[in-house]
Amino acid sequence: MTESAMRDQVHPTRFRDLAVTVDFHCHSACTFCIVQEGMNNYRGVPFERFVAIVDENLRSRKYDRVIFTGGEVTLEKSLFQFVALARSSGAFRHVRLQTNGRKLADPAFTHALVEAGIDEFFVSLHGDTADLHDRITQRAGSFDELVRGLAHLATHPVRRITNTVVHRTNIGAFENIVGIAHAHGVSEMEFWNYLPMEDHADERNLIAPLPETMPSLRTALARCAALGIRAVTKYVPRCLLGEHGATLDNSQPDTIIVETFWNEFPRFACLYEGVCEHSDECLGLSHDYVRKFGWEEAALQPVPRTRPWRPRAGGVDGKADETADESAAPHGHPAWEALIAGVPQEAGHLVRVQLNRNQARYTLALPRGGATVELVLAARDQETPALARSASFNIFYTQLKGSYDRADMERLLRAAAERIIAHDDGSLSLDSRKGLVQLARKGKERPAVV
Amino acid sequence: MTAPAQQMPAPRPLVYAGAEDRYFDYCLQPYDPLRDPRGKLRSESLLWNSLDVARAAPSLDAALGAVQRTAGRDMTVVGVKHQGGRIWWELYFYDRLKEDPAVRAASIIDAVAPWFHVVPRPRETVPYFMFSFDVHPDTADGGRVDVVNLYLPYYEVQGGRSYKLSADRLEMDNVYRFLHPKTEIREIVHDVRQSVFVDFTRVPLSRILLPELIDCNRICVAKKRFADAVYYSGIDVGQLRFFLRTLCYPEPIVAFVEAQRAALDHLRFDVGIDYVMLPDGSLSTTKSSYYCTL
Repeated sequence: MTESAMRDQVHPTRFRDLAVTVDFHCHSACTFCIVQEGMNNYRGVPFERFVAIVDENLRSRKYDRVIFTGGEVTLEKSLFQFVALARSSGAFRHVRLQTNGRKLADPAFTHALVEAGIDEFFVSLHGDTADLHDRITQRAGSFDELVRGLAHLATHPVRRITNTVVHRTNIGAFENIVGIAHAHGVSEMEFWNYLPMEDHADERNLIAPLPETMPSLRTALARCAALGIRAVTKYVPRCLLGEHGATLDNSQPDTIIVETFWNEFPRFACLYEGVCEHSDECLGLSHDYVRKFGWEEAALQPVPRTRPWRPRAGGVDGKADETADESAAPHGHPAWEALIAGVPQEAGHLVRVQLNRNQARYTLALPRGGATVELVLAARDQETPALARSASFNIFYTQLKGSYDRADMERLLRAAAERIIAHDDGSLSLDSRKGLVQLARKGKERPAVV
Repeated sequence: MTAPAQQMPAPRPLVYAGAEDRYFDYCLQPYDPLRDPRGKLRSESLLWNSLDVARAAPSLDAALGAVQRTAGRDMTVVGVKHQGGRIWWELYFYDRLKEDPAVRAASIIDAVAPWFHVVPRPRETVPYFMFSFDVHPDTADGGRVDVVNLYLPYYEVQGGRSYKLSADRLEMDNVYRFLHPKTEIREIVHDVRQSVFVDFTRVPLSRILLPELIDCNRICVAKKRFADAVYYSGIDVGQLRFFLRTLCYPEPIVAFVEAQRAALDHLRFDVGIDYVMLPDGSLSTTKSSYYCTL
């Protein structure tokens, strides 16, 4: 699967947000860190590249918000340079910092960040006590620093959001975490289910079993609702959120990061994807979860679909694997596609080519209205009735679908047949041994001879 | 004095896609290549690689060439079978409407006669839509094939029953059904759970319906005489690589797919896993297979 397809599948983007990874250092060592190994290899985005991003966004106005992240972005000396440009350029309405919050314990530093132009702080709060939080960050005192930082932020007119990574260690703490956030004036809380990016076998034993996790999480979400805190959940099955299903938002900002980051991004699946109403926004379970705890086929409660199921972008029916040709035009049978090249756009266009045992079948569409027809090539003979004959083929049509004007359809078929006759130099052939199975069985659609 | 190193035969040449190539799954249903196939490999390259790995006699190449000429290019489905490090092949011939005498059993059996003797001769009034037989690395050195498999369809439901035909007996071997992995998942789960070989109070469903492979075009659930089986159809080369690694295929087969990944990424593949539960509650793969067309 392509990296871009993977992003589409598991990582639908908030199209108005852009995340820029400024550095890859950290003074915490969270047990669930998804870039623990990456810290050794990844490099932040060079300032020069960010300058180009800003220029581009001034032209395109694609992004409203820039999010500076890392690693721990507050450790990067050039952060203020990035923030200053983001703010002074006018390229973004909002400038967000994604941080573990420890350096915010310094009121002067916090003040400087706000003065530089950061108006949104997204801080990590993983435990409801110093003991738990520090155990998760593996740094004594980190909880106290974070709480002081939240207090300092409360003195500034900035948006405060917390992020809690849901994993085995903090099951049961979520409701009290909401209490801490509320006490510091936090207006939004996000709960992200742990993604085992660098530990797919879960040797760290961090993946939270959902039957244990979800009651605690639902209680926390209920408390958020009662306190007027906007809650967001990620990477949990929507059906297990109960009345809080609307909190699920698996989107992420477009992220400027080394491409190899996506290689390890978890894949997701759900047994009920094709039958559940919510599968368009719900990713289901990570493969790592399924390997460890199973499909949870009894616990998941799919809501019956009211719309036909369609494959997700990047699924096996989409573009698969690396170096996918993103062109919308058919490209699987280039020699056969060339045979019909040159049909005027105003007559129609080629949708696909498929080679059966003994036929080349071209699906053609009229330019307006969506009506389609299949033009069929079979090995040439002189006896079988045909719409036309080229050097090597009998040409038929079948499978007329949709509403169309007869003259428009005739023009398309005539144009396509003419191109085939003109291009057919005898270099392509079809097996003549087998009969025209599909045509012979469709008596009502038997094509007329011209 | 040291013994001379055993000379490894040169690998069989790669076979590249041509303009007239057709792309079929293991049911001989056409599919659209995932990307422009120019400069990439035909799926039969997987077959030739497996012949290398299994050290098949060159005579088998000649016999397979005769099969290809007789049935037509792309018209033979080949299953590369794997069991405990042993590799062999099953050749499948489809003719749903009995319209092509070249792929009737008699014709194929005659075509391979210079290399090996297929003993059973199916009665042509049997309404089979497909037949198959196994060949082993040394079969084409004057060996014999004692069993031919005949496949009969259901009415409308996509699937069938297979029978083993030998010189002196005909016995039912397998029933199977194709289902959509997303929209017919309840039927799939039901059919998988209906098992005499696996106790689902001890084996999680996720050991059988693998999350890495369930994103596919179709799943086939089969009930065999001595095992159950699940087949995944239409997977991509990344999933094929996962399958080969997970099912512990010989390293040169895995290495070939990894090395040629970019040259195989226009193709879809089909794979199957036969399994039973052991007394200790663990799941055992009794056989697995991946497919290509010749």
